[in-house]
Amino acid sequence: MDRQPGPLRLGTQEFPPTRPLVMAIVNRTPDSFYRPGITWDEGAALDRVHTVVAEGADVLDVGGVPARPATEVTVDEEIRRTVPFIEAVRAAYPDLVISVDTWRHEVARAVCAAGADLLNDTWSGWDPKLAEVAAEFAAGLVCSHAGGLQPRTRLFRAAYPDVMADVLDRTLTLAERAVQAGVDPSRILIDPAHDFGKNTWHSLEVSRRLADMTATGWPVLVSVSNKDFVGETLGVPLEERLAGTLAVTSVAAWLGARMFRAHQVAETRQALDMVAAIKGDLRPARVLKGLA
Amino acid sequence: MLCPAPPLLARDLTGRDPLLPELREACASAVSWLVSDAPELVVVTGAAAGTADWDPESRLDLSAYAPALGPGGPDLEPGLPLSLGLGALLLDQAGYSGPRILPSVADGEPPAACAALGERLANAAPRAVLLAMGDGSARRSTTAPGYLDERAIPFDTGIEQAVRDGDLATLAATDPGLARDLMATGRPAWQVLAGALGPGRPDTGILYADGPFGVGYLVATFAAAWPPA
Repeated sequence: MDRQPGPLRLGTQEFPPTRPLVMAIVNRTPDSFYRPGITWDEGAALDRVHTVVAEGADVLDVGGVPARPATEVTVDEEIRRTVPFIEAVRAAYPDLVISVDTWRHEVARAVCAAGADLLNDTWSGWDPKLAEVAAEFAAGLVCSHAGGLQPRTRLFRAAYPDVMADVLDRTLTLAERAVQAGVDPSRILIDPAHDFGKNTWHSLEVSRRLADMTATGWPVLVSVSNKDFVGETLGVPLEERLAGTLAVTSVAAWLGARMFRAHQVAETRQALDMVAAIKGDLRPARVLKGLA
Repeated sequence: MLCPAPPLLARDLTGRDPLLPELREACASAVSWLVSDAPELVVVTGAAAGTADWDPESRLDLSAYAPALGPGGPDLEPGLPLSLGLGALLLDQAGYSGPRILPSVADGEPPAACAALGERLANAAPRAVLLAMGDGSARRSTTAPGYLDERAIPFDTGIEQAVRDGDLATLAATDPGLARDLMATGRPAWQVLAGALGPGRPDTGILYADGPFGVGYLVATFAAAWPPA
């Protein structure tokens, strides 16, 4: 189901293939892995929105449930964490693309009604009704690969004959199903989902072979920010993963990924702009050296 | 008339920031004035590696400065030297499509040879006009391309004053050795212009005189009919 790379349409926005997009993470959780609880308070979360917008974020990714196994978060609680916040963001930024990191269609329905534009289904179509909600609300959908894991579980001795083949098979199948469910193809992204159902070797492999995904023509989202495969590769703790994150980000951008989920928005924006300039997709900001 | 010839004059080279739009606007105003009376010929001159006549159809190849931008004009080779290429660009931007010739003058050409070239060009057509492309010192400050030489600002100020006064004799007498030391690459073009317009003291107008990046830029018009009646 290969296609020609075209504009990505999310909410009121239309993004050309040459523009790398930063998806800024805003967790409405007390216990996410990176700086837990930092935006648990709604005021703090809104302050972060103002900051990341100023830093060049194109998309917000709001999450109400941490990916790792921890305290159960019910549907009602997930809605309570996300919907009022999305309404507040939408009121402040009528055209900002708002994504919600959820796998549950009940939550999806509530957040779309509140103004969300994109459903970031990190758990790889666990709830098949998610695509129907995206279609109903003309929202976008991220089709990811989680290696068959059920939501909020960790991989245990994951093995693949060919991890990239598995990633392609799963994400393209989900994309095809989404289109059949009525989701606008120009609103669909595919995501290899680094670390989800993958050990560090697998995540390095999908990073190395990301061109196999971009060659499909579907816009590719990568979500690598501060993840364990960066930490394990470099032998660094959580708070020392920015350089590794930006390196993976840059390689993915070079290989044609279009959206980059990030904690550190300003640094990610700079890395992406640098790669875009190398590719010839973005003019340098100001060139004087040697030209006076 | 006189314009500077830094690469940044080509808007495409400076990235998203226009960098020095006022310089570009001053050049555009001066060139518009130059071609406003339907000249029979525009002579563009400027310093280059050698004294030579260049193909009037040729243009500046921006790819030499920014490979991502590709050739700057029709695919004719070789691309013009910087000074002539920027002059040709200014003519194009002014919408001038009439006859032009593009003689370069060697950067080491002695003053007498420059003057002689100017005189010869003055007789190239009955109603010809001259666009001389050249810069002042590139050693005006510690951040300048050639670092600071204390003589640079007085040198440039002297040139500016001579242009302001229509003092062609001072331009003609500029010391090539000092100009070379100060990286004032416009010296041969100034002397071709003086040879073409002289003798006499034409009325002049200065549209831009500054050195924001450590290089002296001067945009000036010379009101004398050229060649002298």
